[in-house]
Amino acid sequence: MLNGRGQRASATSRVALPVLGALSLLAFWQFLIPLFGVPKYIVPTPWQVMLRIAADPLLLWQNLVPTFIESILGFIIGNLAAILLAIGFVYNKRVEQAYFPVVLFLNTIPVLALAPIIVLIFGIGILPKVIIASIICFFPTLVNMTRGLESVSASEKDLMHVLSASGFEIFWKLRAPRSLPFLFASLRIASTACVVGAIVGEWIGANKGLGAVIIQSTFNYRSDLLYAAIIVSSSLAVAIFLVVTAVERRIINYQ
Amino acid sequence: MPAGLPSGSDGRSSLAARPPAIRAAGVDVAFQGPAGIHKVLAGLDIEVADGELLTIIGPSGCGKSTLLRVIADLLDPAAGAIEVFGQPPAVARRRRDVGFVFQDSTLLPWRTVIENLRLPDEVGRGAQVERRDEQGGASAAELITMMGLAGRENAYPHQLSGGQRQRVAIARALLSRPRILLMDEPFGALDEITRDRLNEELLNIWRSTGMTILFVTHSIMEAAYLGERVLVLASNPGRLRELEDLRAVKAAASGSIRENPAFVERMGHLRAVLRTC
Repeated sequence: MLNGRGQRASATSRVALPVLGALSLLAFWQFLIPLFGVPKYIVPTPWQVMLRIAADPLLLWQNLVPTFIESILGFIIGNLAAILLAIGFVYNKRVEQAYFPVVLFLNTIPVLALAPIIVLIFGIGILPKVIIASIICFFPTLVNMTRGLESVSASEKDLMHVLSASGFEIFWKLRAPRSLPFLFASLRIASTACVVGAIVGEWIGANKGLGAVIIQSTFNYRSDLLYAAIIVSSSLAVAIFLVVTAVERRIINYQ
Repeated sequence: MPAGLPSGSDGRSSLAARPPAIRAAGVDVAFQGPAGIHKVLAGLDIEVADGELLTIIGPSGCGKSTLLRVIADLLDPAAGAIEVFGQPPAVARRRRDVGFVFQDSTLLPWRTVIENLRLPDEVGRGAQVERRDEQGGASAAELITMMGLAGRENAYPHQLSGGQRQRVAIARALLSRPRILLMDEPFGALDEITRDRLNEELLNIWRSTGMTILFVTHSIMEAAYLGERVLVLASNPGRLRELEDLRAVKAAASGSIRENPAFVERMGHLRAVLRTC
């Protein structure tokens, strides 16, 4: 009984405490920030932001769609490329030894520094945004997937050898399932990072998308719209993250 | 006899008449270490009869596991010859003549008990495996019952005890109906009670199947209790120190073998031999 009650209490506090935490910060923002004399064109109140979202849902929706498409395409292309390259690395050690350090070096280049070059090369269409979103997803997945595919134990390899498993069977029955927890760890990172990539791409050169709204409303001092666009971007990232987490829970149900 | 397992065709009495299951002649195994070539096994000669239960004991690094790995085609000897039913180990492996039970159960954590057990049926389907007759083996369901795992079919490995995990590993090895079962300290990490119970179950499987079993252990009691013969290996380099035949003692004993004076005396002898290895 004590255990049951304890579990119920902790389940309630798991939900209630973060909600209370968020509400207290919103209250601080709503009531105390204006008291400090911060002007509303710099920091609007949460209520003003909510009113802006309610007043301009179509504008936000029309700009959410391109950002969503760029993010998802970037997510798919970046992760797929990383998975395929990781498989190539695992099955060709010399290629891995030659290129993995280079990849790690490239990973240190901030995407913000890379974005103007990509826009310069690919113009201002959807392509540069997708490429930036792909790059931002690519590196964590490549590193994790390579590590995941290589995480089979010596006795697992021995078992497969004793069973005369083919290379193809070892991949599908052992390496691929072994790599899944590693893959999903990076997909969770990529699920929010792809939105960052798309928005960064839109900052540099775009007339639509949430990144464009953010830049334009900043220059026009429309801070309520700026904050509204930020909240919608964040909601998009959270939505993709939740989908990835749900898929992960469904697939990795053995831990 | 447990359901579904092929029985020993001619019982245990006429083992000597059959050709050997394993024949090793002058087997050397060496590794390239930091200080040069390190010999793990040196000039090992041994013959294991078809249907025999041979236990292998010796200090760490004496090449017990290495010997099993050579038989299972997981390692190539540097010198000497090894035959499994008159064939090179690679042929025996492809024929699924050899099953292997590892110290850690090596169950795949994303597969349930029944899925782990069926792994041997899902791999090696290509031209590689030259299967023997497909009839007469125990099905996965029968092995589940036989190994006391009924009701746990859909459990994942992390939901099982250490003993249950090793039962699944044994059942998985038996699914291919190997003629030789190689067991590398399979019960080493288990508590004593579970270990004793699994020893009993293993003896039952061995008696009912007529299978050849090579069982590596660190425990003198386990080695003596299970083995018809006990192979004692000495280390640096690994070599045959003694081959203790316990068949006569066991055949003459009545009641609990563990308390039989002749058996206890042989164990004392084994302990003394091991001190010199």
